[in-house]
Amino acid sequence: MTDTAATTIPVCPLTELEPGAMRLVEHDGMKIGVFNCDGTLYAIEDRCSHDDGPLAEGGFDAAACTVECPRHGSLFDLTSGRPKTLPAYAPVRTFAASVVDDNIVLEV
Amino acid sequence: MATPEAVAEKRELAGINADYKEKFGFHDPESGYAYKAPKGLSREVVESISEYKDEPQWMRDFRLKALDHFYSRPTPAWGGNLGQIDFDDIHYFVRASEKNSRDWSEVPDDIKNTFDRLGIPEAERKFLSGVGAQYESEVVYHQVNEKLEAQGVIFTDMDTALREHEDLVREYWATIIPPNDNKLAALNSAVWSGGSFVYVPAGVKVEMPLQAYFRINTENMGQFERTLIIAEEGSDVHYIEGCTAPVYSTDSLHSAVVEIVAKPSSRVRYTTVQNWSQNVFNLVTKRAVAHEKATMEWVDCNLGSKLTMKYPSIYLLGPEAHGEILSIAFAGEGQHQDAGGKIIHAAPRTSSSIFSKSISKDGGRATYRGLLEVADGATESRSKVVCDALLLDEDSRSDTYPTIRIDENDADVGHEATVSKIGDEQIFYLQSHGLDEEEASKMIVNGFIEPVTKELPMEYAVELNRLIELQMEGSIG
Repeated sequence: MTDTAATTIPVCPLTELEPGAMRLVEHDGMKIGVFNCDGTLYAIEDRCSHDDGPLAEGGFDAAACTVECPRHGSLFDLTSGRPKTLPAYAPVRTFAASVVDDNIVLEV
Repeated sequence: MATPEAVAEKRELAGINADYKEKFGFHDPESGYAYKAPKGLSREVVESISEYKDEPQWMRDFRLKALDHFYSRPTPAWGGNLGQIDFDDIHYFVRASEKNSRDWSEVPDDIKNTFDRLGIPEAERKFLSGVGAQYESEVVYHQVNEKLEAQGVIFTDMDTALREHEDLVREYWATIIPPNDNKLAALNSAVWSGGSFVYVPAGVKVEMPLQAYFRINTENMGQFERTLIIAEEGSDVHYIEGCTAPVYSTDSLHSAVVEIVAKPSSRVRYTTVQNWSQNVFNLVTKRAVAHEKATMEWVDCNLGSKLTMKYPSIYLLGPEAHGEILSIAFAGEGQHQDAGGKIIHAAPRTSSSIFSKSISKDGGRATYRGLLEVADGATESRSKVVCDALLLDEDSRSDTYPTIRIDENDADVGHEATVSKIGDEQIFYLQSHGLDEEEASKMIVNGFIEPVTKELPMEYAVELNRLIELQMEGSIG
């Protein structure tokens, strides 16, 4: 496997992702959940490390900055991608999110 | 010709076998009960349990969220036939006594007599470090050795732990088994009551076992205890649980959640001797994490119940952690034991073993269902899975569903499975050494389960052998 340079992809205007909201974007066949945790942006791959099911549309706690897998309940720390509860034990991929000219972008 | 001793033993076996009902299957009057919820599950029932226990708001919210999970998930279609369970025909909370006592003399007479008949106070005096006795939904007696208490060991019922050690409970609560893990864990999370809380401080070795005994008395009862064990670094504890229930013509439900945290270099052994009456659905979620150099052991003996679905699991999260699962299942007439275990190697140099033994007779069905997973990066890990099934007649059934997932090349994993039937040649050989047919059959079965019984404390090994002999009675056609 060879390293490839990060690609910047647009998400949406910052005004369209209010604190406590999540938005799904797709890049090269991969879905990514972008979360606004009370003003700070985080992004993780929309795939639970437990059984590869969708993750980002689970319960989002903006104050704790966690998302709960809707299938088996593992709670993921959005800041690190690490699971805080079983049954998942491996972290999920995270991506750098930033705001450029009032638009949210991701480095993938 | 059988010896007089053998004849007497046969008579004794016949006597015991006729009587799960007399020995374990009796029931007490409910006249002195403090509270019995009406049958059925609803938001109101869940709120009333929480209110009745005067719980903090976070626990009430947890219960209600879990109830939503329970409602939103389909009933599992695999394993046993769960379609037989009528969730509206169950009492979800029954308080037999207003008081959880530390003195047997303060326990209400009917309940105390029941535990006397089951030998619990006697066992406490003889060889235990602590005892918890749960009757219906709540624990009615709890005691722990004073020396252990002085060392900081906490062994109490979960309701008391939530009141007296709320921060500690909350730190670990549902981190091992979240409420949305599966439908039955969600149900337990919504209506849980009772169970044990064990906390062993760093470096403390609990020399003698802690025991909890669970008793259902009411017809159409649901028992949903919740147990959490935290073994701090370098500590050591053995927890044993047993259970029985009256024989009724209608069904009851037991659905527990057990979470264990074995911190670095600790050792936890959890032994179960499950002997529910054959009208109880036993659907339990048990899971442990073992951190660096910790050892976690499940010894799981399933003899009773109508249907058991239980697969204790161990997540080996730290390097050099070790996990062992010893599972024995005995399926007699009308019984389905769907048991096994799961081990997940998630760190380097972890090691594990699963030994499963099942015996089926009189049309009973025993299933081994297991998972062994070695994650990418769990280098130099080793594991061995052995599943042996013994069929005692043509009508009985044994199934094996082993799942093995290996995502690491540098791992050593072995799997062996055997299915055998007691053959005429084996019986004939032993008869030629002077044993009668029934003795020969018992000897073969005892030899078959010996790897499990030798891991039990003496008192439990004797009890397990006796229970299996009891189940074996009349097995020779």
